[in-house]
Amino acid sequence: MLVFMIIFALVMFSLFLILPLVETILLPITFTIERLVSGVKTGYSLIELFSDPRLFRTYSTTEPVIVAQIGNTTLVNFIGWDFGVIPNTLIIASIVTSITTLLGLVVAFVMARYEFRGKLIMRVIAYIPLLMTPFVNAYVIKKLFSFDGLFSYIINTVLGIPLKINVDRMFGVILTQSMAFWPIIYLNIYSSMMMIDPSLEEQAENLGAKGFKLFRSITLPLSLPGLAAGAAVVFIFSMEDLGGPIAYGFHDVLSYSIYSNIKAAQNIGEVGAYVGALAIVLLALALSIFFGIKKYVSLKQYAMLSRGGRWMPRVRKPGLVGSLIIYLVILPIMLFTAMPQIGVFVTAFSVRWSRAYPEGFTLDHFANILVNPEVLSGLTNSLRYAAMATALIIVLSLSSAYVAARSKLHTLNEVIDLISTSPLAIPGLAIASGYIIMFTSGLFKDTFLDPLSSYGPWLLVVLAYTIRRSPFATRVIYAGLQQIHVAYEEAAMNLGASRLRTLATIIVPLLGLNVLSGALLAFVYSVAETSVSVTIGAVAAGQKPLTAVMLDFLTGGRLAGLQLAAAMAVLIVVTQLLIILVTNIFLKQRYAFIGV
Amino acid sequence: MTRVSLSKVSKKFGNVFAARDVELSISKGELFTLLGPSGCGKTTTLRIIAGFEYPDSGQVFFDEEDVTYTKPYERGTAMVFQNYALWPHMSVFDNIAYGLKIKKLPKEEIRKKVLEVLDLVGLRGLESRYPLQLSGGQQQRVALARALVVEPRVLLLDEPLSNLDAKLRVRMREEIRKIQRTLSITTIYVTHDQEEAMSISDRVAIMNQGKILQVGTPQDIYFRPKNTFVATFIGKSTLLQGTVVRKDADNVLVDIGSEIRVLGKLTGDSPLKEGSRAILVIKPEDFLVEPPQEPHNVIEGVVEFSMFLGSFTQLRMSVANQNLKVFVDPKKEVKPGDRFVVYVKIDDVLVFPRESEGEVLEVA
Ligand SMILES: Nc1ncnc2c1ncn2[C@@H]1O[C@H](COP(=O)(O)OP(=O)(O)OP(=O)(O)O)[C@@H](O)[C@H]1O
Ligand SMILES: [Mg+2]
Repeated sequence: MLVFMIIFALVMFSLFLILPLVETILLPITFTIERLVSGVKTGYSLIELFSDPRLFRTYSTTEPVIVAQIGNTTLVNFIGWDFGVIPNTLIIASIVTSITTLLGLVVAFVMARYEFRGKLIMRVIAYIPLLMTPFVNAYVIKKLFSFDGLFSYIINTVLGIPLKINVDRMFGVILTQSMAFWPIIYLNIYSSMMMIDPSLEEQAENLGAKGFKLFRSITLPLSLPGLAAGAAVVFIFSMEDLGGPIAYGFHDVLSYSIYSNIKAAQNIGEVGAYVGALAIVLLALALSIFFGIKKYVSLKQYAMLSRGGRWMPRVRKPGLVGSLIIYLVILPIMLFTAMPQIGVFVTAFSVRWSRAYPEGFTLDHFANILVNPEVLSGLTNSLRYAAMATALIIVLSLSSAYVAARSKLHTLNEVIDLISTSPLAIPGLAIASGYIIMFTSGLFKDTFLDPLSSYGPWLLVVLAYTIRRSPFATRVIYAGLQQIHVAYEEAAMNLGASRLRTLATIIVPLLGLNVLSGALLAFVYSVAETSVSVTIGAVAAGQKPLTAVMLDFLTGGRLAGLQLAAAMAVLIVVTQLLIILVTNIFLKQRYAFIGV
Repeated sequence: MTRVSLSKVSKKFGNVFAARDVELSISKGELFTLLGPSGCGKTTTLRIIAGFEYPDSGQVFFDEEDVTYTKPYERGTAMVFQNYALWPHMSVFDNIAYGLKIKKLPKEEIRKKVLEVLDLVGLRGLESRYPLQLSGGQQQRVALARALVVEPRVLLLDEPLSNLDAKLRVRMREEIRKIQRTLSITTIYVTHDQEEAMSISDRVAIMNQGKILQVGTPQDIYFRPKNTFVATFIGKSTLLQGTVVRKDADNVLVDIGSEIRVLGKLTGDSPLKEGSRAILVIKPEDFLVEPPQEPHNVIEGVVEFSMFLGSFTQLRMSVANQNLKVFVDPKKEVKPGDRFVVYVKIDDVLVFPRESEGEVLEVA
């Protein structure tokens, strides 16, 4: 039984994660070697990669801020730089990571160490940006920050200042991502801070430390594991984000380049190598961050020496200055970051958004999407794919969690643990590239795994969902397994039960709620998946999942496309909220958040 | 050197008193111990002195200065936490140097002082290790060194030895005592281990349910307990109940039933009078199997249970339908069911009124 589990997990991860990635890496390397050996260019090689002006430039083609004057109104256009695909990606990811880390740190500190009116509400607000409104949130922010948008309207019309602003291109992407990702860092730091033995801070106070010194020397260093884990996730998420670049038309980033080239993928030979070369860069960055952080975090994960003190979290009331900062700075910023999601809801129920803000109330968009054949097909496809993926995920996660928690072979545990959590860090676009390269040629060409074959991409999409979303379930199940004492199983086996029987009669009933919660989480995150959905999933018209349909509505110039996409996003958010509610009731814990 | 005094300090958590009208006066350079059962409020009292909790009422003084609401970082105390609270991200050196860096001492002086204190606690050479690489005893010494190096006005120790094994505990408490004497720092020591308290303290305060029941030297507490709680908490005494038959200047005669009468010593200004219910407190090791020279009681009963414990044999006797714990010479052969006579000096029997302060501990 254990052997079956090991084999199943290893086969799944090898075939649908490791091998595609390896092929992705090998393809451009092969071309490079051929090029170096024979001097003939057979395909896009790494040599082209480093001399391609699309990818690297030493200068920016745009001025970051452009100021213009129309009448007596000053127009300020924040567009950012353009240094080519790879520098752009890194600049965006670095700035987004810095902004979100700063905000996440401040909010985590306030939430973990202060007690004040409205704290619970603020903690709820911090979750709003995590609600999944694929692509639509980026469009909402773009509208809010255009020359005709709400902010310019407030500055210009309401306040009467002769100034209009527009945030676009690189700065638009940075703004969108920062607003969406900061809670990831906040939640990771917050949980780190809550783990700090209060006596460690009390001891420092006792020896004379206070205020910032106390924070610098004790609280911050002890929160670094959470900070690092959160920052790594944000950096990776930023690199693979498609919503921002598509909404702002900022195409010179890795994610968009991979996306557009896969979309154009008819002749895999040439394009495949280019995509592969880009995917290598993305993958190399993501993996080095993932492994680096994993190592760092495990080194610094100070098993707190012993817990003799009292475990009352150290919370105190903020003073006057503190209160002012909380209510006048932090709260407004948090509300600001919740605006895209709020905007998506408002948009979904509004008749039009042709001026500064959405206008009119209507339920028509919901009525329309429920009869629109494209939407209906996307919805049923997504539900079907997610359901099938979830079934596979249950088996896969049970297997990998069980092996990681129970196998007596130490290296095997570690390998399985590492592989099964790595999809959290591996960009979906790298997986999509790998699938295109591996399954559209050679051995798999024209089989049911080939997305370009007459079977269509559905099976590959299901498998991609399975691999990408399994870590959510694996972590929940693993956490549950660690609470079930091995002795329960040993007692059953001692009485003659086989491992399968033990699993069925002891483990699964005890783990039932964990498995259910993990499955629900995996399900909803599958429905909201974008990277594979809009690339591989979009190659056959009738098989597009919901997120691909949403993107079509946003980019396809359809009538009320934004409102209809927003209505679809509302459906996803409502499902997500229900599922998070259910898992929280079952497990009384938040496993729904994201970290390494 | 600082004198610490608490005046009418009370602190309630919900409806539990963690400190109740606590009056303490701790002299300069004294090693003063708070002793009491788990949950009686020792840690809370210590935390009030350190400034981590503010009392609901009452005041705390360091010398003449009222520090009741002074911030912990301005008090100049140094606390050794029960769990040591060593910072896992700092080396031994940095842990110890922390308080000195806060005081902005020059680097060279910090180095000198840290090395000196490492010598004092016998950890020279381990300064670049991290706390997780140390044994329990070494961690405890780092915590102590970190507190000592800042030359605090008051040293606060919260069960500093509770995480160590029995042997190390004995060695470390001797070291703490020695260092405290050498530096003569006013020290408040918290423990629930009475032997530890007896062995290192100048004076001991016995606490129960937030109240200070008695303050005195270890000898005072041991030989002259003021109530049954103190008497039973210290020395694991055994109890007998009865009714006062006669009372004179020093002694009381108590009828414990089955026509057995025991003469005991009156404690303090006891309100006992003829006919009132009384409790007799006797240390099990004070029972004799041969009649002594001095005036004594004779107690006869049936052995119910006997257990060989090495240096002595513990008996449980049934005397007038009450249980009595008796330690006898291990060479004496006693079997359950035997009738058995023991003797106890009148001076070794303490008599308390039945409704005395503090709860009566069940002593089997
Ligand atoms: N922060 C708190 N909130 C609520 N109750 C508390 C708190 N701190 C202490 N108590 C209660 O106050 C009482 C005294 O606690 P304290 O920790 O001072 O006891 P202690 O004598 O140190 O016990 P131990 O020997 O177990 O450490 C206990 O009943 C405890 O439950
Ligand atoms: Mg305590």
